Amino acid sequence: MQTTNAGWTAGWTAGIALLLFAFLAGASFAQSEKTLQERVQEITRQLRCPTCQALSVKDSEASFSKQIRGKVRRMVEEGQSEEDIKAYFVSRYGEWILMAPSKKGLGLVFWLLPVAALFLAGGLIGYRLYHNSRKYHKETPEDAGPALSEKQRAMISSDLKMYEEDE
Amino acid sequence: MVAIAALTGVLAFGFTRNPKEVRSPLVNLPAPGFSVTELNTGVPLSLAQLKGTPFLLNFWASWCAACRDEAHLLETAHRRWGKDAKKFRVVGIAVQDKLEDARKFARRFGKTYYLALDNSTGDIFMNYGVYGVPESFFVDANGVIRYKKIGALTQAVIEEQVPALMGTGPKPKAGD
Repeated sequence: MQTTNAGWTAGWTAGIALLLFAFLAGASFAQSEKTLQERVQEITRQLRCPTCQALSVKDSEASFSKQIRGKVRRMVEEGQSEEDIKAYFVSRYGEWILMAPSKKGLGLVFWLLPVAALFLAGGLIGYRLYHNSRKYHKETPEDAGPALSEKQRAMISSDLKMYEEDE
Repeated sequence: MVAIAALTGVLAFGFTRNPKEVRSPLVNLPAPGFSVTELNTGVPLSLAQLKGTPFLLNFWASWCAACRDEAHLLETAHRRWGKDAKKFRVVGIAVQDKLEDARKFARRFGKTYYLALDNSTGDIFMNYGVYGVPESFFVDANGVIRYKKIGALTQAVIEEQVPALMGTGPKPKAGD
């Protein structure tokens, strides 16, 4: 009987261990699969669909895009980096295949142009404000004297007294 | 004022360009390798076998309307210059097509030049940076792409490019 009980226990233990292993292996596979899929999506999001208008390969259902997604997936599986994969497509299609211009060469100019335009606009506005402020100060110099003459001050005082008396 | 003038200049230059014309980075570079089998006979063909022979590589599909428009021009070019397969060849590769559909198309338009299918993963069309069909590459005897035509071929393009490849015509202008 003891041998039978020990056999049952060993069998159950082995069974549970096997299930646990299968579960962990499955979870690990799902994790790596998700990572691969995410990488493919990240790269295809940056590639332009050759047969569409302003759509990325990721968002396009065109048959050409489907094949490009397959190619990117195979390249990722082969261990190629994102830069390698993008460089492959640029070497075949030119910079046009990238949804956003690269941050080097002429592409860098396109990235910097909006920033430069903002700085230019800010500089122009600042210059204009500073220029207007200087002009105002020139028109009202400090040694221009009191704004009111003695006679005018006396008139104001007299008027104010009249109101005070009325009240 | 300078910024506005520069922006106007950039826009004015942009309007002079055709947005559909995207110059291929492959022009004046060695043609990417390929290996295919003939639609009907199963005879294999690779880029290495074409070394020393100028050829016109045409990407097409049976479902492509513009491919019908250029079908007769390709066949004419093949019969006119390709009698001696060592001097000139026309090679057609069908992309995203079914074997039977491609065969039917070839029969319907009386194609007698070398025809094959791209593989199921589309590697050849991607290696050549094909945007769509039809697209044609004029490759010289050294295996260098000299001209790329996006869209249906015209008689004028063929008559300008093929003799230049064969060394019997003047040097043509740069391609798309």
